[in-house]
Amino acid sequence: MSQSYNRGLIEDFGRWREFSAGMWAWIFHKFTGWVLVGYLFTHIAVLSTAIPAAGAEEAVLTAGEDVYTQTIVTLEDLLLVRILEVGLLAVAVFHILNGTRLLLVDLGIGLESQDKSFYASLILTGAITVASVPTFIAGAF
Amino acid sequence: MSTDAPQTTDETSETSTEDAPAEAPSAGDRRRAQKQERAAERAREEAEAEAAAEAAKNTVHLKVFRYDPEVEGKQEPRFDDFHVPYEKGMTVLDALMYARDTYDSSLTFRHSCRQAICGSDALFIDGSQRLGCKTQLSDLDMETPIRVEPLPHADVVKDLVVDMEHFYEQMEAVEPYFQTDDLPDEELEEQRQSRENREKVKMSTRCIWCSACMSSCNIAAGDNEYLGPAAINKAYRFAMDEREGEEMKQKRLEILEQEHGVWRCQTQFSCTNVCPKDIPLTEHIQELKREAVKNNLKFW
Amino acid sequence: MAERYSSFTPGGTSWLLQRITAAFLIVVLAFHFFLLHFVHHADEVSFLMSAGRMETWSYYSLMVLFLITATFHGVNGVYNALINQGLSGTKRTAVKWTLIAASVLLIAQGIRTANAWAGIGIY
Repeated sequence: MSQSYNRGLIEDFGRWREFSAGMWAWIFHKFTGWVLVGYLFTHIAVLSTAIPAAGAEEAVLTAGEDVYTQTIVTLEDLLLVRILEVGLLAVAVFHILNGTRLLLVDLGIGLESQDKSFYASLILTGAITVASVPTFIAGAF
Repeated sequence: MSTDAPQTTDETSETSTEDAPAEAPSAGDRRRAQKQERAAERAREEAEAEAAAEAAKNTVHLKVFRYDPEVEGKQEPRFDDFHVPYEKGMTVLDALMYARDTYDSSLTFRHSCRQAICGSDALFIDGSQRLGCKTQLSDLDMETPIRVEPLPHADVVKDLVVDMEHFYEQMEAVEPYFQTDDLPDEELEEQRQSRENREKVKMSTRCIWCSACMSSCNIAAGDNEYLGPAAINKAYRFAMDEREGEEMKQKRLEILEQEHGVWRCQTQFSCTNVCPKDIPLTEHIQELKREAVKNNLKFW
Repeated sequence: MAERYSSFTPGGTSWLLQRITAAFLIVVLAFHFFLLHFVHHADEVSFLMSAGRMETWSYYSLMVLFLITATFHGVNGVYNALINQGLSGTKRTAVKWTLIAASVLLIAQGIRTANAWAGIGIY
């Protein structure tokens, strides 16, 4: 044929209403994966303030006035950071639960109920996240 | 049309009911004539609306993707509406054929056996890859228009026809035919397969090369080199066939172990969900992954 | 035909490693969250407490292993996601080495931080 029409990938995300459980699981897993990698880098960057802090006087460290302790305390005082941490927990829990589901799929276990196990991961993630909110927000006000 | 059509009422929503024209007396009161005319008009409209409502009950509304690079007015893709009289047992393919034969002979789509064996009429129907001939209209939501589109992630040649070249290339890349060095001793002896082994490959042999799985696969859409579910399933069919012998199996695993072989599968289950022959594609791909890993560990 | 795929580049090793690190990370990430948010709380963090944990050798080595496996799992996951989108050729090579460099930097920086807490001279 001299010519053909390429519809590209438009149908992929324009049709999200038609996605199946396995497809959603993959999208969520990928999204949470990106978030976790991004967090890993920022996490190490923030924790790196421990390097200059290690050179501080004993008294400064005991009083908690070193760079590291101050950085963390300042961050944890912000309500936004606390909320983001709850979000991070949700992301991590989902990635863990769905990751377990994927490992089972890789082992050939329960392929018939892969959609149900995805819904179960979603519900469990929601439950664990909600249950953790008090602990995560404690002391932020 | 469907083979088991009990009654054939050829009424379409397009045929308008033509009532007797209002007789206007040439002489006499003009006003009365006008009044009469208006009444007749109203009666005609009512009858038309009634007929339309009646037809709608027994009519299926198709929205069909149209495109033709060689026709001036069709170079920009669009959707055409067809109202096809519904009959019990009618499939999407039946409806398409009716539309083509009755309304627009230029409507183009592939079909042949009409019994889910030839694999020609995989289409994108109401957002899912299905065989037109295997999809009952009654299984779809007939309240809303039924969208019929060519398979996604393939180039459209014309209307519902897509270019299958790439799919066939991937199928051929796995050497989809029986090969063996393990021949029986006697020249005329049969090469028997054990019942257990036949059971193992049974589902994988059902592939009809319709490309529905390939079209549904998000990874095959992004990574053009990915073998795709159908080709991997084909390779499974032979790699798991004990009659091919150990050496052939190694060769087959080598093809599957390529970076764009089994490893690209992300277990989205899209292919398994759409396969019209119910082949457990994801399961087969996963088994081949494990087989490849085991095979590599053996050589360490 | 098969010749098209003749360059033998097995993806099997990284696939398997991704699963093995996954199994390890499931346990360790859950432990990490539990220890640092439920046993200890976010508003009581201090350098000395972190140092106290890191001075234990078993904790130090677990955290270093955690860092290495998490980096591999994450970066390899990103790389695979890009290949699934059809990344290839020079671009792919560039992305690959950028990711490797980023991983090395991350792991080095992480170990320096752990050393600072553990009181190990090199940081």
